[in-house]
Amino acid sequence: MDVEIIFKIAAIGILTAIIGQILKQTGKDEISTLATLAGLIIVLIMVLNLIGDLFTTFKTIFNF
Amino acid sequence: MDIILKIIAVGLITCVATLIVKPIRSDFSIIIAIVGGLIILFMIVNYLSTVFDSLKNIINFTGLNSDLYTLLLKIIGVGYLVEFTASICSDTGNSSLGDKILLGGKIIIMVMAMPIILSILDIIMELLPS
Repeated sequence: MDVEIIFKIAAIGILTAIIGQILKQTGKDEISTLATLAGLIIVLIMVLNLIGDLFTTFKTIFNF
Repeated sequence: MDIILKIIAVGLITCVATLIVKPIRSDFSIIIAIVGGLIILFMIVNYLSTVFDSLKNIINFTGLNSDLYTLLLKIIGVGYLVEFTASICSDTGNSSLGDKILLGGKIIIMVMAMPIILSILDIIMELLPS
């Protein structure tokens, strides 16, 4: 398990915030909302993989 | 035991990363905190399994029923998972939701521990003179 996923998520957050700001200032509000949503969904999928791994390891260790 | 240094480092990095990201996007900071907690849990989990293996050896040595031991392990696992999730919920501000998760865990542990209580009652009833 690596620490770099924390940096990845932080970088995705900062990047989507910047992209959203730029798109909003050029007047494309809908696309900026979509970009923000896409970043959130990417991060959520990464976190979901981690949580699934946690559940499988707990199942094997605790004999669920 | 340099694993504790790693755990401390991951915790500090997570704290700093949440602090940096929070003014930019507050929802991502919560996700970073969750992922940091998950990484620390993954680091511990291997050591936990060695502890449980040695405990299983001790149980086999004493000749106790191993069903009780697996039940105990399940109860400990439910406790850990529920505690982790409830603390995440109260971190994000939904402390009432965390309390409900804790309540659910308590009830599930109660249901799982019911066979042990019933077997103790059986033993007591056998000991009593009829």
